[in-house]
Amino acid sequence: MEKPKKCKVLLVDDEDIFREATARQLAVRGFAVQTANCGEAALELVRNDPPEVVVLDQEMPGMHGSETFINIKRINPLVEVIMLTGNTSVDNAIHLMQQGTFDYLMKPINIDELLYKIEDAHTRKQLNEKKRPDNAA
Amino acid sequence: MLKRLADLSRKILSLGREPDLPALPSEQVEALQLTFKSRYHSFKLLLAANTRILEVMADIERALQGNEPFSMSFVQTASASTSVNVFRMIKDMENIAPGRYDALRVRFTAIQREIDALLARKKEISDQRLVVPLSDLTSDMVDIAGGKMANLGDVKNRLHLNVPAGFVITAAAHELFMNTNGLQKEVDRLFQVAGSDMDRNLDLVSSQIRQLIISADVPEPIYLAVVEAYQEMRRECGGEVRMAVRSSAYGEDAENSSFAGQYRSELNVKFSQFFYYYKQVMASKYSVQAIAYKQSRGFRDEDIAMCVGCLAMVEAIAGGVIYTRNPLDRRDDNIFINATWGLPKAVVDGDVLCDLFVVSRDDDLTIVAREVREKDFQIICYEGEGCIRQETGAGVASQPSLTDEQIRELADLAIRIEQYYETPQDIEWAVSAEDGRIYILQSRPLQQMELMVPGEELDLRRYEPSLVSEGGINASPGVASGNVFKVAKKVDILQFPEGAVLVVEQALPTWAPLVARAAAVISEQGGFAGHLANVAREFGIPALFGVTGAMAKLNNGDRVTVAADLGRVYLGSIAPLLEWKRPETRLMVGSPVYEILHEVSRHIIPLNLLDPESRDFQPENCRTFHDITRFIHEKSVQEMFSFGKDHHFSERSSKQLHYRVPMNWWILNLDDGFVDEIKGKYVRLEEIASVPMLAFWEGFAAIPWDGPPAMDGKGMTSIMFRSTMNTALVPGVKSKYADRNYFMISKNFCTLSSRLGYHFSTMEAMVSERSVENYLGFKFKGGAADFERCLGRVHFIREILERYGFRAVVNADNLDARMEGHEMDYMLGRLKILGYLTLHTRQLDMIMGNTPMVNYYMTKLTRDIDSLLAGRHACQITA
Repeated sequence: MEKPKKCKVLLVDDEDIFREATARQLAVRGFAVQTANCGEAALELVRNDPPEVVVLDQEMPGMHGSETFINIKRINPLVEVIMLTGNTSVDNAIHLMQQGTFDYLMKPINIDELLYKIEDAHTRKQLNEKKRPDNAA
Repeated sequence: MLKRLADLSRKILSLGREPDLPALPSEQVEALQLTFKSRYHSFKLLLAANTRILEVMADIERALQGNEPFSMSFVQTASASTSVNVFRMIKDMENIAPGRYDALRVRFTAIQREIDALLARKKEISDQRLVVPLSDLTSDMVDIAGGKMANLGDVKNRLHLNVPAGFVITAAAHELFMNTNGLQKEVDRLFQVAGSDMDRNLDLVSSQIRQLIISADVPEPIYLAVVEAYQEMRRECGGEVRMAVRSSAYGEDAENSSFAGQYRSELNVKFSQFFYYYKQVMASKYSVQAIAYKQSRGFRDEDIAMCVGCLAMVEAIAGGVIYTRNPLDRRDDNIFINATWGLPKAVVDGDVLCDLFVVSRDDDLTIVAREVREKDFQIICYEGEGCIRQETGAGVASQPSLTDEQIRELADLAIRIEQYYETPQDIEWAVSAEDGRIYILQSRPLQQMELMVPGEELDLRRYEPSLVSEGGINASPGVASGNVFKVAKKVDILQFPEGAVLVVEQALPTWAPLVARAAAVISEQGGFAGHLANVAREFGIPALFGVTGAMAKLNNGDRVTVAADLGRVYLGSIAPLLEWKRPETRLMVGSPVYEILHEVSRHIIPLNLLDPESRDFQPENCRTFHDITRFIHEKSVQEMFSFGKDHHFSERSSKQLHYRVPMNWWILNLDDGFVDEIKGKYVRLEEIASVPMLAFWEGFAAIPWDGPPAMDGKGMTSIMFRSTMNTALVPGVKSKYADRNYFMISKNFCTLSSRLGYHFSTMEAMVSERSVENYLGFKFKGGAADFERCLGRVHFIREILERYGFRAVVNADNLDARMEGHEMDYMLGRLKILGYLTLHTRQLDMIMGNTPMVNYYMTKLTRDIDSLLAGRHACQITA
């Protein structure tokens, strides 16, 4: 399997400390990281400067994670989305996986696990693009 | 699975070698390659999810042993993690074989619904009264009044003993209080934020929550109901009443869980101050001790409703605690009365010495023992409000705190209460200064333990040179060793190392959170009736109290052995004494959180789909998450094998391994398993990029096989007998089953299905830098000898694998071994072991009846493996 190239990740979370710390860790590991602190800002980025993988917090004030996810997919169906959530909303997580989120991680996250999921999501995206060249972003 | 794997491999291999297969146009090949890559990616994700599920299931099983505390958040996380990963596997399977296994989703949803129902279950409060007078309470009202007050209701209303007037503010009131102004939501949020780091955040969370409760307004309906109940109490007592305000939490006094001293009680409270103390008691549900205790005993926060009991204060001349039996010895049915001057609080808090009277159950209630102590202090009601510690004064301190008549009266009460409850009781009582009568303040189940008597084999004289201290009160039996850690101030709690021996001056309830983390407890003061002793017994932690000068004699970091039963402390670890100690109690078993996990696990862990060959091996028959994962794992491997066959995909077909000579090893490259594209029919070792396969091969080829072991007569008979039934087993007769081995590889993945001689083995390995996803699976079955000997070999191999860190189970003559989550280097070492064993356990079934031979091979194999792991063998000779 070809090695994933430097992957463009968008990290969406309203908790400033978590978002900035995680973004730094991802950047250190060679990802090109963008951040957004709310759903609206995330959609703006997806429209204008589409990422390959979005890491999206479920619990956000304003536009909720689930809603943000659906809008991201509407704008660009090939972007892969990984949801971050607490342990009590499994139902919702599974529902969203049925809708097409790539995967889901529980907070507090293990950074390596997040890293692997991003890599896997990136590989998946590349494979999907090749399968459907007309849809590629 | 083994046979199927081999069959599939053979089919695919023969197809791949078919000479007249038409070549595909190149764009079709490219499309197929892409589809294959996509499937293989899903297959990898599926295997990672499978590994994660197996890990979580192992965590759940460990938790269900009940020795380690876990919280509701563990239960939620474990089941959520299983659900999500099972769903992940279903999705990946759908990607590998679209439309083939739709029934899996149906089963998944059904199982998930059952688990959700278990997790969402909440206790409904049956009675909505906010306040209930004591005269209306009975013990079946635990869920509305809490254990303490409900039990006291029985003592008053069914046993008709002396109990002060009073009332309880109920569970319904608790719910109302917490739901007013969103208090409960805020509490939940603070817990959620603290999350898994609860231990470190405990102090902060506790004080934040208590502050919230104390500064909240008491809802008006509660206020009005309390005022009414208090007026009724005044009428009953004929005037102004001071009150004892005590916690009566639901779950507090249940059997096997004492919540001893975890919550606040306030004595001698004026009504004008009542609501302040009411909130203090409510807030004590979230004291540091109480939160730690709840977590270590498996109570959910929402399971505990803080009911608050209010009793007319009994100003006591003397008071104390009765144990209706010996808590340290089930066979001793004497009644133990602990007593002191003043309020019983002094006995319960464990900070003063108290008298002990032991009464026999004979008709005369004979006092069989009396220990009268120097009671320098007593606790009494203060004139203004609250209590004070006061010197008892010369002449009184050394006097018995009870007359013989009072002792017998108490013993009689004790027997009546015990007979009523039909179980040993722990009873708090007081002798009123006003009317001299005895009042019962509390009665709850008493925990009893087995007394241990050292056997003759334990020669205590041998350890006398290391004896540090002798004498003291056996507050909780058992023997344990650990390093001394002295605790004098609250801040020391934070430093307390897991497994240390807690040494304190006073046996205060404040130290209770440390008990669960301690190996043993030593206190200079305190008796076995105190809270700390109760907690130690509950947790099965040995405790020795009344050890004079312990703080001075022992130094932090000293390794000591505490033998509570013997009243001795030794320097160092005394192994024979430790072996003699009582097994650990299974603390979590039976707790609400444990029960929920247990029920949830029944939808996760049992494996019903055992045999892939069976007609029942169908998605519709998946009854648990384990069934689903097992089914998917099996089918996904098959789908990966059959891909080439279904698509006449010769590019993906197998190559024969050329290792000096062409060998009976066939290799199917799944993705990036070869260094480069291979044109011919052979692949050489140096052309293989599969990390796990190379490690396996290194172990396989490192040390030459000595050939079959010398067989004894019986071994030979055994194989000859089986050969007459199965011609495939006859040595020398060429069989299509003989020595055929199939690898399926990618750079970080490899499966092997192999038949060497007469046994079958399969190996599956995922090894990369992602250590959390790494795993090894190894299965082994069969042999030429009789069942007994085959079984012997299977156990022989299991023993070796376990020695090197595998988890292995044997079912009939199937060995199933796994390991996961280790670093790459470690995993590769383990693969070498599997390679080595695959070759060197050949025909070892023959010698399994012969103990010296078995020992010889065990020694040889482990010696070889150790040197292999130490890197002393390069690849030498072909197999």
